[in-house]
Amino acid sequence: MLLDVIQGTENGGFVIIQDTVECCGRQLLQSCIAAALHREEDVHVLAFEVCEEDVRLRLDRKCEQRLCVHNGYTDPLGWSEHPLFTVHQFISEELNVHLSGSEESKPATLVIDSLSWILRHHPPAVVCQRLQELRRGGALRRVVALLHCDLHQQGIVGSLCHLATAVISVVPGDRGQQAVAKTTRRTKSGKVTHEEEYFSVKEDLTVTVESRPSHHGRPQTEEDEREVDPAANLTFNLRLSEGEKEAKEKLSLPFVFSAEKKSALLQPRPGSGRIVYDPDASDDFDPEDPDDDLAV
Amino acid sequence: MMLPDLGSLLGFSTEKIEKGDFILLSDRNADASFLINHFLSLYLRAGCKVCFLGLVQSFSHYSAVALRLGVNLVQAREQGQLVFLEGLKDSVGQLLQQGPDSEAYPMGFLRGSQTDLRSLFRFVQRSVGGAGEWSPSILLVDDLSVLLSLGVSVEAILDFSHYCRTTVCHQLQGNMVMLVRVGEDEDDEEGPELLLKALTHQCSLALSIQGLPTGYCRDIHGQVEVRWKERGPGAAGPGGALAQKKLLQYKVHDKGVSFFARGTSSAVL
Repeated sequence: MLLDVIQGTENGGFVIIQDTVECCGRQLLQSCIAAALHREEDVHVLAFEVCEEDVRLRLDRKCEQRLCVHNGYTDPLGWSEHPLFTVHQFISEELNVHLSGSEESKPATLVIDSLSWILRHHPPAVVCQRLQELRRGGALRRVVALLHCDLHQQGIVGSLCHLATAVISVVPGDRGQQAVAKTTRRTKSGKVTHEEEYFSVKEDLTVTVESRPSHHGRPQTEEDEREVDPAANLTFNLRLSEGEKEAKEKLSLPFVFSAEKKSALLQPRPGSGRIVYDPDASDDFDPEDPDDDLAV
Repeated sequence: MMLPDLGSLLGFSTEKIEKGDFILLSDRNADASFLINHFLSLYLRAGCKVCFLGLVQSFSHYSAVALRLGVNLVQAREQGQLVFLEGLKDSVGQLLQQGPDSEAYPMGFLRGSQTDLRSLFRFVQRSVGGAGEWSPSILLVDDLSVLLSLGVSVEAILDFSHYCRTTVCHQLQGNMVMLVRVGEDEDDEEGPELLLKALTHQCSLALSIQGLPTGYCRDIHGQVEVRWKERGPGAAGPGGALAQKKLLQYKVHDKGVSFFARGTSSAVL
């Protein structure tokens, strides 16, 4: 699923790549840029945390003219006299002017590196609104943003992720060197799918999915269920043969009170006791309640 | 030479200064100032132009320590190799000073209306630029968390460090070393933690000093976690999204520090 999200098969998507101090998500972001360039799309990068050289460093030279880097790295707050691109321009309408710079207004991909930088200077609600406007504006095919989720409160990260059509969280894997991408994707119908994959990014920024963590292979468990027959290896029979059935019917069970048993019990036998009762004159015997003298 | 172990470990030497590195030092329940002194003497010996924001100690303190390590700070300052901002003196001067013009002073954020560290950045910009015979340019800060105590917000400090990074590491291809101190009580103070995390996202090398988890020990003073990003020995190629980590123990001596792998202290073996 990670590859599908990076390849960006759907239109109008908003992808958030979440990372933490432990595991950097910038390479996946770069892969998204490379993938979009390979699809012959225009890519606009709002670079606040990396310089333009670093963005272009590993990208294909042939695609360079389709890549437009808005340099918010050297002077993001306008401290110098001629800032190239400031963080305040993200909110203003000016951004649309920047984005529609290319003449043949083909829908472009917007890459934001990173949302954390923008969130430091704008309230979260404004950022969310602005992102929605950008997506609905029609000038963009797709928005891909990097978010350092350990720098913000959970609620802010949550509300941004609600806007996204796909969220990729990059976390360290259990075994040594590899990183795990936890991908959650929301389709237009509202279906949510979730998958975890070990991945690696090659020198030319292509992403390869190596394997899935074992506990998340769904089809595997179904096969397991089919194999296991609950009736196998039982210590008793579930069905009886004809002979066994007859024998079972012949047997009289100890608690069944048959006529022979009753007569056998009523016959006085030698050695059995007898109760003789001779009431005294003082005995106040009430035949209706023989247990009157017991304090019950 | 001081810290031959750490130098070889990090691939640093006076002959070979990596370009554009941002080194983040941090300490928790321990004191990382020996690293600041190490980097200060290393860069001065390598003939770099050094701008040092000493917000914690006085100049004479740093000078005395550096002298032990074989570097003369007074001389370096006179020759123009070292620009030293003595935060202790300047902040008092700034608070007591009369007159409205706070913009022009590096510590001007202490009074006046400005909430960002623009004036301090201007000072750095002036100091590292025009290096002349000394190169590359280096910025050292001891330490950033003091600014938090002075009432500067985490956001303003991050903006400041961002501008310093673009100027020193990117434009001038120099190095930047910053120290952040995190208090013992983590729940109490969110500021230093947040600052440390945000800077860790930006840095290329992080050295974090911690006390031993098992408590005080006479022969091992603490442990240092080294974390490389992207480059560095043993990095898993350009595809490694994970930071490379190494955990070492150290002991601070009179004139230096020895580093060793865990459990291989001379007191143990």
